[in-house]
Amino acid sequence: MPPSRISRRDFVKTAVAIGGASALSACLGREDPDLPTGSAGARPARQHAWNDALATDDAGNDIPPRHHLVRLFDYRGDRPTDADRETVETALRSLERAYPRSHETDDGHGVGLLSTVGYGPSYFERFDDPGVALPEPEPLAPFENPTPDDADVIVHLASDYGSVLLATEQALDGERDTVNGVEVAATLSDVLVDADLADEGRTRRTGFIGAGLPADNQGVTGIPDSEPVSEDAPLYMGFESGFKGSQASEDRVTIEGGPFAGGTTQHLSQIHLNLQQWYEQDSREHRESTMFCPAHADGDRIEGTGENLGADNQVAGCADDVTTDATESGKVGHAQKTARARVDGQPRILRRDFDSTDDERATVHFLSLQSAIAEFVATRQAMNGTTAADSAAVGQRSNNGILQYITVERRGNYLVPPRNKRALPAAP
Amino acid sequence: MDRRQFLAVGATTVAGGLAGCRSMFETRSARSPPLVEDRPDAVYVPTHVEGMEMVGTTEAGDYGVALTYSFPHRFWLLDADETNRVEIRGEDSAHLMSVVWDSETGTVVPNSSVRATVERDGETVVGDKSLWSMLSQNMGVHAGDNVSLDGDGTYDVTLEIGPVSARRTGTFADRFDQLVEASFTVEFQQSTLEDLSFELLPDRQGERGAVESMDMEMLPVARAPDPEAIPGDAIGAPSTGDATLAVTRLSTPPEGIDGEGAYLAVSPRTPYNSYPLPFMSLSATLTRDGSEAFAGALEPTFDPDLGYHYGAVADPQAGDELTLSVDLPPQIARHEGYETAFLSFEDVSLTV
Repeated sequence: MPPSRISRRDFVKTAVAIGGASALSACLGREDPDLPTGSAGARPARQHAWNDALATDDAGNDIPPRHHLVRLFDYRGDRPTDADRETVETALRSLERAYPRSHETDDGHGVGLLSTVGYGPSYFERFDDPGVALPEPEPLAPFENPTPDDADVIVHLASDYGSVLLATEQALDGERDTVNGVEVAATLSDVLVDADLADEGRTRRTGFIGAGLPADNQGVTGIPDSEPVSEDAPLYMGFESGFKGSQASEDRVTIEGGPFAGGTTQHLSQIHLNLQQWYEQDSREHRESTMFCPAHADGDRIEGTGENLGADNQVAGCADDVTTDATESGKVGHAQKTARARVDGQPRILRRDFDSTDDERATVHFLSLQSAIAEFVATRQAMNGTTAADSAAVGQRSNNGILQYITVERRGNYLVPPRNKRALPAAP
Repeated sequence: MDRRQFLAVGATTVAGGLAGCRSMFETRSARSPPLVEDRPDAVYVPTHVEGMEMVGTTEAGDYGVALTYSFPHRFWLLDADETNRVEIRGEDSAHLMSVVWDSETGTVVPNSSVRATVERDGETVVGDKSLWSMLSQNMGVHAGDNVSLDGDGTYDVTLEIGPVSARRTGTFADRFDQLVEASFTVEFQQSTLEDLSFELLPDRQGERGAVESMDMEMLPVARAPDPEAIPGDAIGAPSTGDATLAVTRLSTPPEGIDGEGAYLAVSPRTPYNSYPLPFMSLSATLTRDGSEAFAGALEPTFDPDLGYHYGAVADPQAGDELTLSVDLPPQIARHEGYETAFLSFEDVSLTV
């Protein structure tokens, strides 16, 4: 595509994916968000309390920030010092003074900057008594062999503006003195260094979610050249995913007791997509069946991206039919299977995932929050559809939800402390 | 003919007719002749047979693994009892195929969890593509799909083979449950494709029947065991949906299956070539003295003696009335000649 035809959205994605000063200046020239500064005032005690800063759609679903950036770091020192804690906290507070969590715009509502800082098992291992039950990432299906991410520190940044993420990143890296007119009083790079990940894992993961962005960024390996991703699709696979009814509440994913009460756990998978068969060989009906459930396809319940389903993907009614559908229909749905992990009708995980063009591959960075990693594992095990695969027609991956089209490349587990312990927490 | 090319026997070669037909479009059209009109609802002789290029064979975990390719194909996916025809795309370069077999016995393993990644100079050309489990008359059960490559050159192909879903018994009980990788280097040349044998079958196309399997020295072909060779007592081999269901009673279940009583094994296979038919839903009822002695699903099972079959410890006894029902056709993609067969099944009844 010649440069003159790059759309505004496409350009913003490209800038975030590329990063750096030149990407930022070009990005700013196009976005020009004219954001107010933030405040040094009170922020939620939970780092992961983002939902009150998000806009909601007509059905009441939270609308995630459109641009995302994850950075993975190692701590330069051994035992964290108070001086290093001060540096991390000061760096984060600088950003909070620079950008609002959200602000009113001509269109309604925009996310300025939201962030979480988390810590992996390797961070806690430095203490004699880590006192944290945070499991190492493991393969969660017999057909996957992900590389474990072993970063000490994970920073997740999200905004409706690519330029905000780029400027924030430069500030954290010590490459800017001010952001949005506010002085950067400390930089993370003084105490953190890009993580040394196994198999040359990326320490910088970027992405997007929201109508238009996947369509504008479909020129990657894993999406066929026919440009099948529709303009209204929020994700590459073409369907809505963040239904209120399939998201755990922030309360549900919060750690209730112990030293990190008020925190949460975070799982981050790097997943490659291959959607050539999905879009060019499977029928629309098959896509509806395997993403939601066969009954939805049979009943013609899904229009377009599934926005018509409202605030609930309505799979609770077919969750009990997984075995029957496997035997009689020869396929089972992704949402149908995962709904079986719900407890008292409530989902266990809060998805904050996004799609990505990292490495020029169609990618999902599946980031989820839950009160314990075991909650994610239980959800993923439901998604494996092992009982459905006992029937002949549904394989371990074939006709088994969307497993055929995804490959989990990496997994990482982290603890996201409450805000008052977000800077290099001590072992409890 | 290159030794590495394989040819089905008994066809008339017309490869000479393609001389000078070098453009991609013309080549593909010539190699994808119009389908037979009025295809029977049964296995039928396709419009043509063709050769394939053998990339090589290797071992990976419990498997022997072969990688081959031919020119892009049309084929049919199964979605419950409907077929969904996959057309050749303009950018498709080749039809990539793999066969996996037990390295100890040579038995082909119906595995629906084979993925291909194709790289060139470290760049991913095809990333983590699931290959369809497929059935073709000259290759039998294999995994394959059309792929779009980046012209002539050297490609690194990695096949990732996941665990087998079917229950496994006997010496297969602790096999085929790992994720393994097999690597190949492909020297891809468009001219190699164009030199593959290609034979129209104008006199036979559309007839009920099938072309024979390729005579392949380097890789085995999936065959359901001869009913005479299956251990136990043969009960019968009725036909339904153009499949043959070889039914056997074993006095005890295969090793690894819990339960007391005789074992009922049903081995569905294609007519003519006796390829196993995996990934279907099959159930049975047994009636004894007017009352139901068993009713339930037969579980897909992979056994060194019985092959891929469907079985249950149903305890069939002499004189029982056995009724078999296909609840879902074999969910395996079909090459030409199989797409109209094995879709609609009448119940079959026989006496034990």
